[in-house]
Amino acid sequence: MRGHGFLIANYVRGNSIIHRTPLLLKFLVVAACGAASFLIVDWAVSLAIFTTMCGLFIMTGAGPRRLLRAIWLVTPILLVIGLFQWWQLGAPTAARIVLNILVCVVAASVLTATTPVQDLLDGVVVLAKPFRRFGADPERFALTIAVMLRSIPFIAGAFSDVRDSARARGLERNPRALVLPVFITTVAYARQTGDALAARGLGEPEDGEPEDALMHG
Amino acid sequence: MNSISFTGVSVRVAVDGSPTPKTLLHEFSLELTERRIGVIGANGSGKSTLLRLVNGLVEPSAGRVMVHGGNTVEDVRRVRGKVGFVFTDPLSQLVMPTGREDVELSLRRSIKNSTARAARAEMVLERFGLLHLADQSIYELSGGERQLLALAAVLAVDPAVLVLDEPSTLLDLRNRELLRETVAGLDQQVMMSTHDLDLALDMDRVLVVESGRIVFDGGAAEGVAVYRALCAAPLQDAPSGDVSR
Repeated sequence: MRGHGFLIANYVRGNSIIHRTPLLLKFLVVAACGAASFLIVDWAVSLAIFTTMCGLFIMTGAGPRRLLRAIWLVTPILLVIGLFQWWQLGAPTAARIVLNILVCVVAASVLTATTPVQDLLDGVVVLAKPFRRFGADPERFALTIAVMLRSIPFIAGAFSDVRDSARARGLERNPRALVLPVFITTVAYARQTGDALAARGLGEPEDGEPEDALMHG
Repeated sequence: MNSISFTGVSVRVAVDGSPTPKTLLHEFSLELTERRIGVIGANGSGKSTLLRLVNGLVEPSAGRVMVHGGNTVEDVRRVRGKVGFVFTDPLSQLVMPTGREDVELSLRRSIKNSTARAARAEMVLERFGLLHLADQSIYELSGGERQLLALAAVLAVDPAVLVLDEPSTLLDLRNRELLRETVAGLDQQVMMSTHDLDLALDMDRVLVVESGRIVFDGGAAEGVAVYRALCAAPLQDAPSGDVSR
């Protein structure tokens, strides 16, 4: 399987003020950026928030290259969305929508670059606690997110491998030769992951939850 | 108490379109007390099914499997706490993006405090000589490093029994030797299926599985000889035209 680990926003060790900021505050900033994307009506405000988030990212010490990579990954989708909105609603609206999406991407990158995954999972467990009354298991919420993060590069890698195999057989223009093997590989991977999680006893109900997860920076 | 016992165990599965179930393992009884137990046999012979019985990933259709006093069906959580399982492909086993995070994931149940958990993970990685790779993406590691990491993640919770399902299949010679040395140094009771007959010769007891039956149970050298004879038999019996190209 080809490596696609770069698709995961890895934690960057550091001691910046953002690294030390409590996780709850970082969660709230990401949530606020998401909510703001529905409320902001002026592209200039979106641009100002985007610039601020980029400034925060640079403050983490993760480097501008990492910032550009995070943006680069969503550029094709943003281009399609931007052009469509420009055609439908005009340039200011298209700019606002694209900038709002970028704000969310950069805010999420600030969170993942400055928070170890284990701390993120601990935070999710604490945030999911209220759902216990409905029978939900917070630890499973966290594990689901971990598996989701893990599956993105796997599926991307499976697609690359299948595409190369299809090219080698002259089938690169046949969508069935591309989609079906990726689908089968993904289902097999899901089964193997399920077995591995069960074998490690992960995702089973347990007592207690992590200590003070949301108050650590 | 510190044994793995199979009493009148068989495993059958339903097959689509067939009124009769397929037998993966015919009825057998065993008491395994040795520290190193090898399972060898051809592909599809039932080795993995036998291993998966040990931690309850497969339930017996008949009979009972007991691991260090725990029943693999009735006390499956307790048994899984005692049995670590390493799969052939470490990529299907490693859940987190980096080794450090995966070892910490193993420890989430036993250590709630994140600082203590991180310290323990560091100790585990250091023990296996993986600390310098701790923060690398699992995709950037070699096959051997990934397999060692999978082993470290499983051993982080200090299981009493370690089950390895063909752990050396995807490894080159150097990494196979590294795995062999690592397994030899473990305190745990180890049960391992393998196609690597040198690795099988390190075992205290070897089971040879053929078409869902345990056809040999005894010493390693004798077991390997039996397996070699089994593998050679179809070639001798086959018409010459079948093996020539």
